Amino acid sequence: MKRSTLWKRVISAVLSSTLLLGAALATEHRADAAEVSGKIVIAGSTALLPLTQQAAKEFKKSHPKVKIVVSGSSSIAGPQSVTKGVATIGACDWDATKAVGGFPAYKGLKAYKIAKIPFAVIVNKDNPVSNLSVEQIQDIYEGKIKNWKQLGGKNEEIVVINRAKGSGTRVNFEDKIMDGHTIKTTGDNYKEVQKSGDMVNAVASNPNAIGFVDLAYVKGGIKAVSINGVKATTANAQSGKYIFYGYGYLLTKGEAKGADKAFIDYILSKKFQNGSLKKLKFIPVK
Amino acid sequence: MEKLSPDWTEATRLWTAHRQHWITKYRSDRLFRFFCLASIVFLIVVLSAIVLFVSKTGLLVFRDVSPWEFFFSSRWDPEHHRYGAAVFITGTLYVTFVTLLMATPISILTAVFIAEMAPPRLQQWLRTLLDLLVGIPSIVYGYLGATLLVPWIRKLTGAPVGDGILAAAIVLSMMILPTITRITDDALCAVPNEWREANYALGGTKIEMIAKVLLPAAKSGIAAAVILGMARALGETMAVVMVIGNVAQWGFDLITPSSVLTSHIVMQILNVDFHSTANHALYMMALLLLFISISLIMMIRRLRLKGGSSS
Repeated sequence: MKRSTLWKRVISAVLSSTLLLGAALATEHRADAAEVSGKIVIAGSTALLPLTQQAAKEFKKSHPKVKIVVSGSSSIAGPQSVTKGVATIGACDWDATKAVGGFPAYKGLKAYKIAKIPFAVIVNKDNPVSNLSVEQIQDIYEGKIKNWKQLGGKNEEIVVINRAKGSGTRVNFEDKIMDGHTIKTTGDNYKEVQKSGDMVNAVASNPNAIGFVDLAYVKGGIKAVSINGVKATTANAQSGKYIFYGYGYLLTKGEAKGADKAFIDYILSKKFQNGSLKKLKFIPVK
Repeated sequence: MEKLSPDWTEATRLWTAHRQHWITKYRSDRLFRFFCLASIVFLIVVLSAIVLFVSKTGLLVFRDVSPWEFFFSSRWDPEHHRYGAAVFITGTLYVTFVTLLMATPISILTAVFIAEMAPPRLQQWLRTLLDLLVGIPSIVYGYLGATLLVPWIRKLTGAPVGDGILAAAIVLSMMILPTITRITDDALCAVPNEWREANYALGGTKIEMIAKVLLPAAKSGIAAAVILGMARALGETMAVVMVIGNVAQWGFDLITPSSVLTSHIVMQILNVDFHSTANHALYMMALLLLFISISLIMMIRRLRLKGGSSS
């Protein structure tokens, strides 16, 4: 009895490892075949990830011999991985060839502007405040305005939520909204979150919170406030009336070549810019 | 005549087979020893590579920042080249302390109940439940903490945010409770039954038996349980980062958003340039975390040895 179960285990172990080995060999084989015709590795911004993923999916169809690996961690990982040679294309929410937001300029990289990204200042959906001026947002984040009553809301203390230092969204927020004013990063009404999704959760779960996020993330328990009376819509960001937007960049080491160049050309093509890119709530740059 | 003469060929065959048998045996024996040795060498190489890499990168921070500032300044502001980690170091120790303060008594009482009072069916059931709880991933605890606990703390204390040391300590207590309880339970069950009977024979009550016989006898096991719980609380990252607020400021009043070593490292590590002082400072914090947990474990191990020899 015992022996038979042991045998069963041994056999199943052998069988499963054979299967695994087979699978590993199969993928290995595929990778080998693809390497011949070029491999694109994309790393960096999570804000641009939906865009690069969609582009990769479509690009693979027209260029079946090119292998594309897409991943996202943070904007700064884009220029870093390209500089180190870990990735062939880096995605970043700012032009990393210039010194921005406390980060150094990455020399030897070439930046391709691929999309305009609209951002939104968000509050809880139960908050009666629906419009803020840039000065008011600056005052809130500087700690000068502390109560929603001062802005026509309820008599409640404002809870200020910020992204961690180095977030691409925060870099754009500091650039476009704070405009030289420093965010007060202390106090019992202040907290920082890691990712865009955490920001949404934090604001949705606290009725007195204010935060900022990509426009594409606005849904559910949060709402985007108008800035200077202009509604946060892609149309308003496209026309430039709405001021809280940034640009997404792809970076390569030197001029893009081969498969990388074909991929960037595809993203910049009229077809992609006016098709999938628009559908994902980004704004075409061409 | 022929029959009596020894069959040399057969003897040689037997001898060779015999020898071959032992050679193979020795060989497999040696091979096994080699694999054991290789495993331990592999482990040592990996561990020392980690320590080496972390300390090599971490110590670079002292090229730009004085040790005094790093350990004793509470101002973490990489934009203005201020790299004081005192808030995170104190925060880690403080969270661990508050967690143990909450989790230890509850765990020990639960273990006493399971080991001494619960009827066998309930005992079995509770043990299975606790074993299941140990296996729950920390992100689940963190998520429950962020969505249920934090709003509740906000309502109860009137804090505007609700994130902070208290939320982190409660979540961590929940996480380490099953670990401490199960190991304490095992330690209590290892106490010989005669000791319990001796207490009753002397006219002792059940409470006296638990307080004066059982717990002192099991104290080294309980210490081990607490170490393991502490090690988990100290190194926990995901659950903490979701409820602590992640602000580089003191959180002594328990409800001000604060930060600890683990949560701060995970918040920042993806967002710093690899060759920046900020990155070196984060590695130094990781090294410190390693050092704190090793020294705490050593401390309690020594405590345990002392306890073991006296009992």
